[in-house]
Amino acid sequence: MTTPNIPPVDAELALAEVRARRAQVVDTNLVPDWFWYGIAVLMMLFVAAMESEIGWLIAVGTIVYALGLATLILALVRRARVQVRQELIGVRGALAIAGFTVTLVAIGVALGFTLDALGVPLPATLGCLPVAIGLAVGGPRLMSHLRRLMLSRPVAGPR
Amino acid sequence: MTGTPRFDELIHAPTRLSLVSLLAATEWAEFKFLRDSIGLSDSALSKQLTTLEEAGYVDIRKSFVGKRPRTSARLTPVGQQAFADHVAALQEIVARAGLAVLPDQLTH
Repeated sequence: MTTPNIPPVDAELALAEVRARRAQVVDTNLVPDWFWYGIAVLMMLFVAAMESEIGWLIAVGTIVYALGLATLILALVRRARVQVRQELIGVRGALAIAGFTVTLVAIGVALGFTLDALGVPLPATLGCLPVAIGLAVGGPRLMSHLRRLMLSRPVAGPR
Repeated sequence: MTGTPRFDELIHAPTRLSLVSLLAATEWAEFKFLRDSIGLSDSALSKQLTTLEEAGYVDIRKSFVGKRPRTSARLTPVGQQAFADHVAALQEIVARAGLAVLPDQLTH
């Protein structure tokens, strides 16, 4: 090994810089809270509009949903100026994202069909309510989990 | 990628350490992101990237988004290995001095 005589404190400071820069990249990449709240609200509005079966409400709901979603995604893309290395997310991160998605979809679909079978009015809208809450509450928590996961990985790997 | 402790003078220079640390956490990183993150001028960042590119540590890609040129950079496999080795060397220095127990040494 060819290690010059640099003071250990300097080495520790250098490692702190490495970790800080990685945290900077990770934080730049996380989906912000406002995106989750926005998606939750848009989804509820859209499903409620569809289920109303009122022509003009469906039209307005569709337009608002499309414009709102496009705006949110555009804002997110403009904010994310760099892509975090896939290896930092890893299998555990991917599983967390997949688990979050599948759980919300399963809850929404199961609840919607169950309420419909029971003859409850507005089953889709009611079925989407826990999904929207799950997005608004769970989305930011998922991001916190992913952040912890990414920052817990060794600073120089694995690749 | 596991690092074999090897101190790298090229990477250790403060600005380049910041730059390589950012690149180590990203896929392709835009020039603007790197410039704004580190707080360098365009010319200073270009110079540092060229130094790293000449060492084989960095790939630089120039593309166009519409009519606007966009420059991006990423660490090459050689650069990733050099960075991993350098970090391992730093960790070894710290560990030998018994200065601190790094989070990296506690996990994985």
